[in-house]
Amino acid sequence: MKKNIIHLFFIFFISCTLFAVSMVSPCRAEENLNYRLKWLFNASVTGDILAEDQNLFAEEGLNITVKAGGPERDAIRELEMGYAAFGVASADQVIRARAKGAPVVVIAQLFQINPLQWISKNSKPAINTVEDLRGRTVGITYGGNDETIMKTLLSRAGVKENELTLASVRYDYTPFYMDKIEVWPVYKNAQGIIIGEKLRKEGEDIQFFNPVNHGVQFVANSVVTSEKMMKEHPEIVARFKKALLKGWHMAMNPANQDLALTILQRYNKNTPKALQEKQLASTRELVWPDRSKEIGHIDVKAWQQTEQIMLEQGLIKSGVNIKTALIIP
Amino acid sequence: MLVRRISQFFIVYGAGIGFLLALKSILGLSDYVIPGPLEIWDTGLAVAHGYLYDVLNTLGVAMVGQVLSIIMAFSIGTAARKSSWIGSFIKAAAYNIQAYPIVAVAPIIFILLGDGFAARLIIAAMICYFPLLLSVVSIMSEPITDIEHFYLATGRMRWQLEIKIRAFENIQKLTTVISGSATLAMAGTIVAEFIAANAGIGHAIRIALYQSDLAKILAALFLIGIFLSLYQGTLEWVGEKIINKWVIVDQEELP
Repeated sequence: MKKNIIHLFFIFFISCTLFAVSMVSPCRAEENLNYRLKWLFNASVTGDILAEDQNLFAEEGLNITVKAGGPERDAIRELEMGYAAFGVASADQVIRARAKGAPVVVIAQLFQINPLQWISKNSKPAINTVEDLRGRTVGITYGGNDETIMKTLLSRAGVKENELTLASVRYDYTPFYMDKIEVWPVYKNAQGIIIGEKLRKEGEDIQFFNPVNHGVQFVANSVVTSEKMMKEHPEIVARFKKALLKGWHMAMNPANQDLALTILQRYNKNTPKALQEKQLASTRELVWPDRSKEIGHIDVKAWQQTEQIMLEQGLIKSGVNIKTALIIP
Repeated sequence: MLVRRISQFFIVYGAGIGFLLALKSILGLSDYVIPGPLEIWDTGLAVAHGYLYDVLNTLGVAMVGQVLSIIMAFSIGTAARKSSWIGSFIKAAAYNIQAYPIVAVAPIIFILLGDGFAARLIIAAMICYFPLLLSVVSIMSEPITDIEHFYLATGRMRWQLEIKIRAFENIQKLTTVISGSATLAMAGTIVAEFIAANAGIGHAIRIALYQSDLAKILAALFLIGIFLSLYQGTLEWVGEKIINKWVIVDQEELP
């Protein structure tokens, strides 16, 4: 009896393993390829959904499905598991993954300015320097990028953590509205717009504290693929990138605003169009701040600084020479 | 009983890790997707102290939440055992409230109570309470006709006696329901911590998830499993002692 149970358990274990293996199939060229975003459909992904909606991938002979991301989605894991051929990941994800041997490469950097900034009310004392944070209550998401960025800002400015109060924050902004937390981390082009609108209705104005202005560049969302895809199907990668960046060019061109907003409404019906218009305008400033550079430009120095920051904060044990993972044409 | 519980947990956990490592090896996955055994071990050692405190913190809240749930479920369940309007109303309300996903209700609780102990306790109790209430109501509303008939016929039946008879006859079911609800209380507390709290192992898992660190999550699951097995095993042991004592007392009382 006992022997039978052990046999059954063993058979079940092997079956589970085989089933899991059979579910994982490597991406093949010319098949339907998935492009996994980092977050849900919103203004931050306008170029991605525009490329799909306007058949720009199809024009390049590609069958691409753009899939929404989310807090528990990880495009890099999906690349390795073969569930996606392309994805969007933040720089810290890429660096962590490379540090653990994940064969991931960056083919385009979508945001030239990190949308992750801190919002505060104008009625409160202005924050012009990092030193101005002394004595204030500053929100951070423990484990998130904002924790890394804020701690780097503080350490570089010589401000000790016990000189201010770091408060844990999530998605509920009540402590900010109630002034329990004065400085709150937001994505400037998403929640930043929503919170700003709410406060303006109450007669309150807002300001953003941008880490870049204080010497800390931490790269945000970038387009990634696997080394295998890059090596075995470089032409697919090139066509994908061409179609995607064409989508972003169209989306970021103010002349195409109506088209971009119509598509955004189709993918995200829950956000009012007026709000999306403001989010789109803000996204433009973050994706294409310098017209002399192309959309998708990979800022190598910013990537190297991101790696340096992660080393300083102990998020990776040793350097990964991130430059080797950046595919620069 | 405790040893059996722990050894069963080790088998399940070992099989889970074995499955992940087999998958990693067959598919040639990097340590980012599935960490290697050495990384799991090193990470486990590195976070053991902090996570141990977190798990105990979570378990403490879960235990208080479970006790609250048991008291509430037994009070309301026994009151609602009669098939009266109140009884059916409580059952319907419990079914309806149970149908709401806790992640939808939790933000309201966190807005009202903040992200401290009270919010975690209430969410743990909510997840644990309703299934417990429904079990208690269904157990306590079932008449033990053979025994109750005698007291009813002789006019000696009182509500306290009715509860005692039904509890005694269903003691095995009740202790099983109580020990089973420990898992719900623990799960409820972890969910609460994951969503919004700033302490406990759910909060630690959330941070590990932000950092894409599966090794930390596996270490957290190991400690959760160990302590939950210990707690459930203890509850079962206590339940068995109560059953034995009650049966002996009852037999001694027999003429």
